[in-house]
Order: sequence, then C-alpha cells, then structure tokens
Amino acid sequence: MKIICVIPAWNEEKNIAKVIIGAKPFVDEIVVVDDGSRDNTAAAAETAGATVFRHPINRGQGAALQTGNDYAHSHGADIIVHFDADDQFLATEIKDMIAPIIEGRADIVFGSRFLGKKANLPAVKKYLIMPLAQIFTRVILGIKLSDPQNGFRSMSRLAAEKIKISNREMAHNSEIQIKAFQEKLRVAEVPITVIYHRVGRGWSDAKKIIRDLLIHKIIK
Amino acid sequence: MLQQIIAIVIILFFVFRLFAQKKKGQISKNEFTLWLAFWLIAAAAIIFIKSIDRLVAWLGFSGSGINFLIYLAVLALFYLVFRLRLDLAKMDRNLTEIVRQITLKK
Repeated sequence: MKIICVIPAWNEEKNIAKVIIGAKPFVDEIVVVDDGSRDNTAAAAETAGATVFRHPINRGQGAALQTGNDYAHSHGADIIVHFDADDQFLATEIKDMIAPIIEGRADIVFGSRFLGKKANLPAVKKYLIMPLAQIFTRVILGIKLSDPQNGFRSMSRLAAEKIKISNREMAHNSEIQIKAFQEKLRVAEVPITVIYHRVGRGWSDAKKIIRDLLIHKIIK
Repeated sequence: MLQQIIAIVIILFFVFRLFAQKKKGQISKNEFTLWLAFWLIAAAAIIFIKSIDRLVAWLGFSGSGINFLIYLAVLALFYLVFRLRLDLAKMDRNLTEIVRQITLKK
C-alpha cells in the first residue's frame, strides 16, 4: 500500500524539517504544499526530503490540502495522511491513524483530542469553544464525532475521490467530516496526542468557519 | 411637485449618462437594458406617486408611497449585496483552482 503524507505549510521554516524527518519512517512519500510562505519553508522542506509544491499566493490550509490530495491521488496513493506542519502532532501515531484503513474497517479516520490521550488544550478552548463547536456540529451539521476541528486524519483512495475540499480556509475540517457522512464512507476515530506550541484559533475563527460553511453550502 | 421635477431631472441625467456609456461601449447591452429599465421604473414611480400612495394605503401600510419605495430599495440593496457576496465566493473558489493548476503543473 502506498501511503502519502500531505503537509500544508505556511511560514513554518523552523518546524517543517523536524516534522518531515519525524513522519518519514511511517509513510512512502511526504508532500509539502507551501501555501505562499514568506520565509524559506519550501527550501527547508526540500532539503529534508519532501516533494514540495508551492502555491504562488496564500490560499489557506484547506486549499493546500486539496492540492496535496490531487497530487497524491494522481501518483497512486492508497492512503493519504493529513498532518500539520507546526509540530503539534506525534508522527508515531500515523500508524494508529492508518490502521483502520489497512485493516479494511474504515475509509476515513479522524484524529480526536477527546478520546483519552494527552492534549494540552488551553482552558478556554477545552471548556468553552470546543464544547460549543461539538454542539454545533452535532445539532446543526448532524456529525457525531468527538473532535470537530482536528487536522490529523487519514483517508483511503476512495475517500479522496469522494471528498473534494472546497473550503480553502479553516472550515475544511468540518467540510471533510460533513462530506464523509454524506458520502456514506466508513468513518473511524482514533485518539491522538496534541502538543500546543502556540495559542490556537479563537472566537473570530469560529465565526469565520460557520460563515464559510454557510456560503459554500449556498454556492455549491 | 417641485420635488418630483427635481427627481425626474436627476433620473434624466443618469439616463443620458447611460446612453453615453453605451455609445462609448463601456457597458454591455444587457447591463444597459437593466439600468434603463431601473431608471424608467424609478421615473414611473415618481410620476405616479399618488397612485402608489393609494396602493400602499389599500394594502394596509400606514406610511406614504415614497416610504414604501424606500423600503423596497433597501430590500433590493440587501439582495444585491448578498448576490455580490456569492459572486465573490465563486470567484475566490475559481482563483484557488487556478492557483492549484499552476502549482501542480510546475
């Protein structure tokens, strides 16, 4: 099975090499989509041994992921792993994330910070933003997953064919989850570890995510 | 009456401008037709404002015809902003697709 790891990166020259070197033993190829970085992310990724593509202008994480998916799909990937460039995920957990697909139990696997493993979320996020986001995704979007905003996921070739990411920014997380259920894919959740190095998204991003989801629903 | 004349003069100014733009080829035929229809309807609404007053009263609204026209105009503006927002979102999506094609071609 050919496993390609897609890493969207924007101004991550400090972390990208470490992330690539960490993930390399668990996948066949690493694709970094440099999303119009102003620093040397692309050069650092290339030196570390990744296949690098560079968006000429910044388009957002969702757009970079779909670019990576398009490449991976056209280059024969059986499993595509989405992994963040900011060194907050553990590369050793890639094998846990792809196991349900290899064993034929799932088409798409979502990482979750709320299934028992360590995730040092900031208090506001843990006790306020995330519970509200969970209510929104369960009640409004009808998604029964424990983690509504997690960038660590893996998908089979079939899932990559069914799910085309159209939300170019942060709403892609919810979009992928919605489409996975709409397409009746077999969904699995795997507990993952998240180590936060900087403060994550807050209220303004939550509002933006909801707005983007609504607009993309209308212009579909 | 004076207010109506002033409004008609303003509309005539925009209609003449519209014809001039059409002559210079600055706007398409569809755009010209749309705007001409808009200004003609606006002129008709001003000329027949008394009839609109009666229509508004008959419909049970307490305000005058001109108020009613302003409400309609605000509704139309909201709708146009909404359409613009959607058009921008579509253009944004197309831009992303072009960026992706360029990126993967290299």
